[in-house]
Amino acid sequence: MQIKKDEVVWLLLFIAPAIILFFLFFIIPILFLFVTSFTNWDGISAEFVGLENYTKLFNKKSFVRAITNNLYWCLTAALITVPLALIIALLLAHRSRGWKVFRTVLFIPQVVSSAAIAMLWAAMFNAEYGLVNFLLDYIGFSDYKNHNWLGNVRTANAALIGFSLCYVGYFMVIMLAKTAGISEDYYDAANIDGASQFQKDLHITAPLIKSTFFLCIILAVIFNLRQFEYVYLMTAGGPANKTQVLVVYIWNELSVQRLGRGNAAGVIMIAIGAILLLSLRKLLKSETYN
Amino acid sequence: MQRDLSSNFYFIFKWVIIISFVFYAVFPFLWLVLASLKTNAELLDDPFKLPAVFQFQNYSNAIREAGLGKLIINSLVISTSATFLNILFSSMCAFAIARHTFWGKNVLFLMITAGILVPLNALIIPYFAIINFLNLYDTRLGLILVYCAVGLPVSTFILTEFFKSIPKEIEEASFLDGCNFAARYFRIMLPLALPGLATAGTFQFILCWNEFIYAMLLTSSTDIRTIQFGISYFTNQFFSDYVGMFAAVVISILPSITVFVLFQERVINGLTAGSVKG
Repeated sequence: MQIKKDEVVWLLLFIAPAIILFFLFFIIPILFLFVTSFTNWDGISAEFVGLENYTKLFNKKSFVRAITNNLYWCLTAALITVPLALIIALLLAHRSRGWKVFRTVLFIPQVVSSAAIAMLWAAMFNAEYGLVNFLLDYIGFSDYKNHNWLGNVRTANAALIGFSLCYVGYFMVIMLAKTAGISEDYYDAANIDGASQFQKDLHITAPLIKSTFFLCIILAVIFNLRQFEYVYLMTAGGPANKTQVLVVYIWNELSVQRLGRGNAAGVIMIAIGAILLLSLRKLLKSETYN
Repeated sequence: MQRDLSSNFYFIFKWVIIISFVFYAVFPFLWLVLASLKTNAELLDDPFKLPAVFQFQNYSNAIREAGLGKLIINSLVISTSATFLNILFSSMCAFAIARHTFWGKNVLFLMITAGILVPLNALIIPYFAIINFLNLYDTRLGLILVYCAVGLPVSTFILTEFFKSIPKEIEEASFLDGCNFAARYFRIMLPLALPGLATAGTFQFILCWNEFIYAMLLTSSTDIRTIQFGISYFTNQFFSDYVGMFAAVVISILPSITVFVLFQERVINGLTAGSVKG
């Protein structure tokens, strides 16, 4: 509808709250982050120090480790979690028996807070009473009877990333919704040709939900870049910084009042996010059109 | 013959995969609930053995000693207010964008929805500074404002799509009847958009209820602490009372699971509206 002159005030009033909030919590923080990343701001005073924060960060082993760990999380999600979710979505597609129940059940970890999930899985991995060790012992891996998964330098990252597979339901639900929109005509035609279920999935469903699959990969990358609670509550970045990730690193800088340095880490994090998103878009776009 | 073999294989493959992931997603929760009803000594035994006596006092202990009641009330007050404000502001903005043409409309929509892609946790230090600058550190209002803003891109996106799907004729008729801008929004569009508001609202409520990092960043006193931040203290508070901690975790996850089971179509619609189209 075209706006009448006397309604311009109303229109401005309606968009003002959203715009103010957006400026206050998106635009200003990002600008602020960028500007203070070139200073030694500690909460009281700030002096311009050029690129010092950035060079110091990249010379810190634990910071580089945080970046590689974040990339490791993103890669696991994109190469394991999302493809697994695709397989489950294909299996549950075409309203197969009990699909709604499985959809609900698999989605539950997504609606539970990450703090509660982190505490739950920290208990699962506990050396004394955790279920993981008990089950391993039960099926014959008795070496692991008192193994401290999250406290051991070699197994901490694997344990963290292994548990993250419980989020497969989120991506599964997105792809399942997409399969519901595919016309039955395609499958009827394939049935006449005598195609098996696997052939139908491979040649009809998979190509049609390709764009949603790529979208899930993009979402998985964003989530794993900004994740905080699991590492913070389960290992606090330890042992020996082995499981450090970017947001926990920023949090630690904040708690010692090195705010400029922390913001430089934030700028790097946003830059990594932008680079990943742009390159994924480019990669996936060329894939879609081929 | 050959096809029978392959369809049998498909059948077995399908159920092995589905059942193992159901196990993965749900079994830890069942273990948690069972463990929360044991004594600390029983916990070290066989995890599948039922407790000799169901220790329901773990729950009353967690509620009383850790002040869980207060944490839950704080979380409810903060989540409900933030959801209300978020839905009000984003539906007003979505109404303006979806039903009118004005200069800069597309830029505004693109800019707000692009906010979905910003890894917001990179901004914790600026958020801390801004909330301090506004003198809202350690207040409920500070958290409410942040939650309201953080959910703005997704809500605005879902609601704009929803408003666009409502037929234009209804609004035009009321326009000719002399309804002004605000009346068209409050009297005509809001009632029609109730399903969309419920979808975005459910989504936003779960987001607020589950939020952890800003609650830890922006509050310090126990009086206004939210439940998600509160339960993370349990590890220290109870020393080695693991079963008390388990009971507290169970209590903290019940509301979001309840909301999800009651409104699951809404949550899943919101999720797919907010992502499949984007």
